[in-house]
Amino acid sequence: MCRKTISVWMALILSAFLFAACNGGKDKDKKKAADEAARTPYKETGDEATVKGIVKFDGTPPASKRIDMSQDSNCAKAGGSSMTDDVQVADGKLANVFVYVKGGKIDGYSYPTPSSPVTLDQQGCRYHPRVMGIQVNQAFRVTNSDPTTHNVHPTPKVNREWNQSQTQGQAAIEEKFLRQETLVPVKCNQHPWMKAHVGVLAHPYFAVTAQDGSYTIKGVPPGTYTVVAWHETFGEQTMSVTVGAKESKTQDFTFKVGTAYAPSSLEIQPALVLP
Amino acid sequence: MRDRDDVQSGPTRNRGIHGLAIHLSGLTLILLVAGALVTSNDAGDSVPDWPLSFGRWLIHSDNFVANVRYEYSHRFLAGIVGVTTFLLAVWIWLRDGRPWMRRLALVMFAGVVAQALIGGVRVLLPAYKPLIAVPHALIAQSFFGLVVSVVVFTSRNWIAARAIKSDAGSPSLRGLSTISVGAVLIQLVLGAAFRHQAFGIVPHIVGAVAVTVVVVWTSSIAIRRHGDIASLRRPAVVGIGLVFIQLCLGVGAYLARVASQGDPQPLEPMISLTAAHLVVGALTLATMLVLTLRAGRLLLPVAKTAEDGTRKVSPSEAQGVTV
Repeated sequence: MCRKTISVWMALILSAFLFAACNGGKDKDKKKAADEAARTPYKETGDEATVKGIVKFDGTPPASKRIDMSQDSNCAKAGGSSMTDDVQVADGKLANVFVYVKGGKIDGYSYPTPSSPVTLDQQGCRYHPRVMGIQVNQAFRVTNSDPTTHNVHPTPKVNREWNQSQTQGQAAIEEKFLRQETLVPVKCNQHPWMKAHVGVLAHPYFAVTAQDGSYTIKGVPPGTYTVVAWHETFGEQTMSVTVGAKESKTQDFTFKVGTAYAPSSLEIQPALVLP
Repeated sequence: MRDRDDVQSGPTRNRGIHGLAIHLSGLTLILLVAGALVTSNDAGDSVPDWPLSFGRWLIHSDNFVANVRYEYSHRFLAGIVGVTTFLLAVWIWLRDGRPWMRRLALVMFAGVVAQALIGGVRVLLPAYKPLIAVPHALIAQSFFGLVVSVVVFTSRNWIAARAIKSDAGSPSLRGLSTISVGAVLIQLVLGAAFRHQAFGIVPHIVGAVAVTVVVVWTSSIAIRRHGDIASLRRPAVVGIGLVFIQLCLGVGAYLARVASQGDPQPLEPMISLTAAHLVVGALTLATMLVLTLRAGRLLLPVAKTAEDGTRKVSPSEAQGVTV
């Protein structure tokens, strides 16, 4: 009798917890959807400004590490480099930094979704490009140019996680990210050194630094914003910038070794983040 | 309960069942190694479909590369363990006269089916990895313990042996060894939770200290009080040895994991150390379980010992004592 009562109470408490958790999430989603619907479509005025700059690297960058590709001879056949490329520094300039604008008036508008897809290719058992940006709802296309099978596995925190295998020559995978998220890691569990990052934004004001560390974000409405520069190894930096009508503003960033946020392994990790 | 059933049905030793149970425990241990290698190599999602693998039961050799080797081997071995468990459960059901043993066989088969389904859900719902992977690890270790129990229950020593000594002293060995099994199992879950990033390392370190104390205490009592009974002395000695090996492996695995944080992929020695740590953990569980079961079989609770110091002997016990 006592055992039955305890079981019933435990079931009730668990149900209440699950209901609250699920309902809380739904409420948030509804609020977000309502906020997005309330936004007016952005119309170009001709006064749009440009934010550009160079991301520099101060100090000696960490040395590349050798990747053990011997587990799949097809990777070696595909001719890819066997050295890590997460940190690419040339003449003190840092490549593959995701730079984007946030805050200010851009959050009050909605922006058309580009009709062309953004493509992530698997070649030489590497992702190309390693860092990329995409707009919410824009087609995310993944191709496989390798003579081997990969699995494409984005591990987002707020978007839907999916995992799909792709054989050699198989048709491109097409997916979409429905929510803003910076940044979504993408990995191949078959070749665990394969990593990419996708910045998903509601607007088109983002760029990825080239080999010379340069970036250019065009068409920014005049106003005051936060410019964010994110690198997968060195973390994130932010700067405030104000751009006037038709102005071209230069905003440089400098990363150093040891600037990355490195969570301590002794920290309690979140067990689960519900999408 | 067991004594009453044994008397009613008159259990006899079935070498075939015992031999198959030993084989199944060995296969399960190999399966645990395969599962540990899947986690250590981050290969859990390398085959995204289930129950098929790339749409087939037997994958093409071209696909058997890189991390797929670990994941597919794990699935293949799981299939062999599943079939073997089914055969053993049917055999026990047909040939073992002990009703509780039949029920145990049923639980064992249900366990392997549940484990397969949880493994499948883990593959199909990658977003819920920690939430599913930790119970998957718990059931894996519990299933191994269950198979080891079946090995013990079908052994000659178990069937022939009767209680020969009072479990005098406080705490009793029967009670303490039961606690040690629970402690080791909880510690294995905390380890799995750390490996699957559900918790940090701190709970696992605290658990390691607690388990070391409990296992050493239990084993010391077994050796000190009942060292004359080889069936109790042996697992006690092995338990102490394993827990110290496990501590060394734990420290080594953690340092290797910290040192490998900048590596582009899981590499040695992290892979071998973490896999060995998991396997020795399973062996520690099995050893303490054997000690607990044998203590329950060979030692009489103090309450059962007559007030005048004589021991109440059941009809089955009167058949003789073999240890």
